[in-house]
Amino acid sequence: MSAGRRVGIVGVGCSKFGIRDDVTLQELAFEAVSEALSDASLTKDDIEMSVVGIAGTRSYELMPAVPINEYCGFAGRGPVRVEAACATGSAAVYTAYSSIASGMVDVAIAVGVEKMSEVDTPTSLAVGGRSGSYLWEFHQYGTTFPGYYAMHASAHMAEYGTTEEQMALVAVKNHRNAVHNKKAMFRKEISLEKALGLRYVAYPLRLFDCSAITDGSSAAILASEEKIRELGIDNAVWIEGVGFSSDTANMTRRESYTTLKATVKAGEMAYRMAGIDEPVKQLDVAAVHDCFTIAEIMAYEDLRFCRKGEGGKFVESGDSDFGGKLPVNTFGGLKAKGHPLGATGVAMFYEIVKQLRGEAGRLQADLKNHRGLTHNIGGTGHFGWVFVLGV
Amino acid sequence: MGDERFTIESRQFVLRHRIPATKTERYWKGLEEGKIYATVCRNCGAAFSPPQTDCSSCYTSDMEWVEIEGDGVVEALTQIHSIPQGFEFKGEPYTIAVARFGAFRVMGWFEGDETLSVGEKVRAITGRDETGVWKVYFERVGD
Repeated sequence: MSAGRRVGIVGVGCSKFGIRDDVTLQELAFEAVSEALSDASLTKDDIEMSVVGIAGTRSYELMPAVPINEYCGFAGRGPVRVEAACATGSAAVYTAYSSIASGMVDVAIAVGVEKMSEVDTPTSLAVGGRSGSYLWEFHQYGTTFPGYYAMHASAHMAEYGTTEEQMALVAVKNHRNAVHNKKAMFRKEISLEKALGLRYVAYPLRLFDCSAITDGSSAAILASEEKIRELGIDNAVWIEGVGFSSDTANMTRRESYTTLKATVKAGEMAYRMAGIDEPVKQLDVAAVHDCFTIAEIMAYEDLRFCRKGEGGKFVESGDSDFGGKLPVNTFGGLKAKGHPLGATGVAMFYEIVKQLRGEAGRLQADLKNHRGLTHNIGGTGHFGWVFVLGV
Repeated sequence: MGDERFTIESRQFVLRHRIPATKTERYWKGLEEGKIYATVCRNCGAAFSPPQTDCSSCYTSDMEWVEIEGDGVVEALTQIHSIPQGFEFKGEPYTIAVARFGAFRVMGWFEGDETLSVGEKVRAITGRDETGVWKVYFERVGD
């Protein structure tokens, strides 16, 4: 596999995440795009192609890419609309990346946006539950997105002795980090005791094991190496590794419920491209997909931050916290920052780019290798994306 | 955000799909006869649960319908407390499990009194829920 031209990230933007009933999809996307353009010191006219990532269905605009594109002033350039469930943002970045790497364009923007709060919670749960293999799962059994991850949690607990307490510790850590993230939905600490006392959403996952229904947007502007030199940009963050994979839609066709094969495969591919053998020693910081706390624990294992089955211990011993082996989800994770599906993957780029530029303030990880990772899953390992970024 | 927001309610939009089930009719009719069917490819032996009539492995379409029988082992489960639109009729949390029966895994509901555990042995039966949808139900072996 040839990676084509070298591609760098030259600007990132992110809206405030939360229940954003003050703005439409278009207005929300504009916030992130506007911030990304000023971050890159570019204007909208410098953008040759726009990619709009939105999972959709929960918002009133059913074909949202063109309305969003028009509102951001990109009419006539793109849009390519992509959807990969909760990994939509990574698919958007990849589309922009590959358009540049192939030589088709020199500058492209990936816009990730989602409004999940325009419908009520039971409707939102049904959209997630209908996103597996509808006729064989939701139609008969009323699956939900928390339910799918809960099934994995039940298997992980049975196989490796992972506990509810270990899962809750992921949420405690991520909330502690989000306090210092101005873009985060929940900027307050939670106690382990409180987390363990809350009701189940889908046994064995309690309320604080789950990311919330969130509205938000994010944007990343990518450019070719030649263009970056021509523009005199000196703080570009380079895409050094790309990995993608997927798994079956049907839960009954999975090989295992204690691992996400899409993570393992995407991770291997990105590590190979970036020349990473020992992730914990070669990365400074990682953003992993913690839509549910068990997902972060499985990600530690599947991305080889620790051995299989030791993900619970990894969080328990502080290995994924500041000063640990590898700080994970320094920005608060999806759990505390929020998880607006289409925005999440691009927002991970926003957070890791800030880290690698040394602009993360009180959430700054120590930079030794000047490399970071984003790991973005769609569904329950239905899609897997891993990127290695470096400066 | 907190303040009073000015919002507009959209026009109602009802979506209901007509789902083609001709190729898997045997499965759906089987549920009504108390049988749970899967398919096996006659050419390469690939097993499919839920059933399909084209082989994703060898790209032939010569399938044998096989009945899933005997005891299964629970591999994963959850109890849904936050109920999605469409399942309000349950009025209470419901348990979904995935159990393995040899080469096949099956999803089903468990409606026993106590909680089910991963690793337990179950039997699969069929039944109809309050809305008339046929499906698989698990029963503990020995109950």
